[in-house]
Amino acid sequence: MTNFETIYKANWQKVFRLCMGYVNDIDVAKDLAQETFIKVWTQLPKFRNESSIGTWIFRIASNTCLRQIEKESKMPRSEFPREIKEEILETNIEKDIKFLYQCISELQEVERIIISLELEDMNQKEIAEIVGLSQGNVRVKIHRIKEKLTQKFKKNGI
Amino acid sequence: MESNIDLKKIWTQQKIETPKIEILYAKANKLKSRSFLKLIAVNIILLLTAIFIGFIWYYYQPELVTTKMGIICTILAMIIFLLPYNSQFSLLSKTKTEPNSKEYLTQLIKLKEKQTFQDTTILSIYFIMLSIGIGLYLFEYVSKMTLTWGIITSAITALWFAINWFYFRPRVIKKKNAKLNKLLIEFEKLNNQMND
Repeated sequence: MTNFETIYKANWQKVFRLCMGYVNDIDVAKDLAQETFIKVWTQLPKFRNESSIGTWIFRIASNTCLRQIEKESKMPRSEFPREIKEEILETNIEKDIKFLYQCISELQEVERIIISLELEDMNQKEIAEIVGLSQGNVRVKIHRIKEKLTQKFKKNGI
Repeated sequence: MESNIDLKKIWTQQKIETPKIEILYAKANKLKSRSFLKLIAVNIILLLTAIFIGFIWYYYQPELVTTKMGIICTILAMIIFLLPYNSQFSLLSKTKTEPNSKEYLTQLIKLKEKQTFQDTTILSIYFIMLSIGIGLYLFEYVSKMTLTWGIITSAITALWFAINWFYFRPRVIKKKNAKLNKLLIEFEKLNNQMND
């Protein structure tokens, strides 16, 4: 197995969840995840371990998500392979998972990325590195976002 | 915080099957060859036009210097038009490592501003150069025509330039800028979220 294949297998779900938190649409999230890994694949020879590989991949993923608006206005949904569609339909997304992703996708774009990284178990220093904010700022934002989410969950009775 | 643990647990339960890596490779190669082909196509068009004009120069042996200047202007116009198109590809990929989101947004905003400039300025320069070029080029041939035909040819050419300049140019610019401005606003909105 090549280096990239290991990276791909180890990180696909994480990147997918980040994208899913951003767009709350399985097909679009899959496209974004795929685009992220195409970039990872092409840029991997240039990667010099300045940061951990995880941080680097999440940087690419976050930036890909942020640039998504451009595609929305430029062209209709891309023609990425859809052969796994049936499996997606079968996937049983439980109510609270659905609700969590919906709540996150209703946040501001940058907040979506920050909370997704936090839920992905990134520490605040790494999140700060990925989004380019100070650690203190990230801490405050995470606290605020979590409060918002908890309130929504309470309201919904979950 | 108890809710914290719950959220993480719910979050990681979202799972779908990892797509086969071959699909990704296929897509990546397709994208690569497509953008390469596009670049080649643009430059081939440029080359062919230049060869065509060069052929006219060689075949008809224009006597007046204005004709030659016209030909040069026309070729220059095309080069000016296509140069930024070629360099646009490398604008974002120049950075060594992936920037953080804040830097990335700043870069995107700069890129969009640059594109807006290109669309308005370069397009205007292109139209001016092309009009001057064609005008100069036609001068020799018009001067050899009878007065009536000379006037008719000049009038039609002038009308064509006017339509390009006053109708097509503003329309193209407006359309392109509207799209870019919309994106700029969106990216700036994202950038402002960083400073909240």
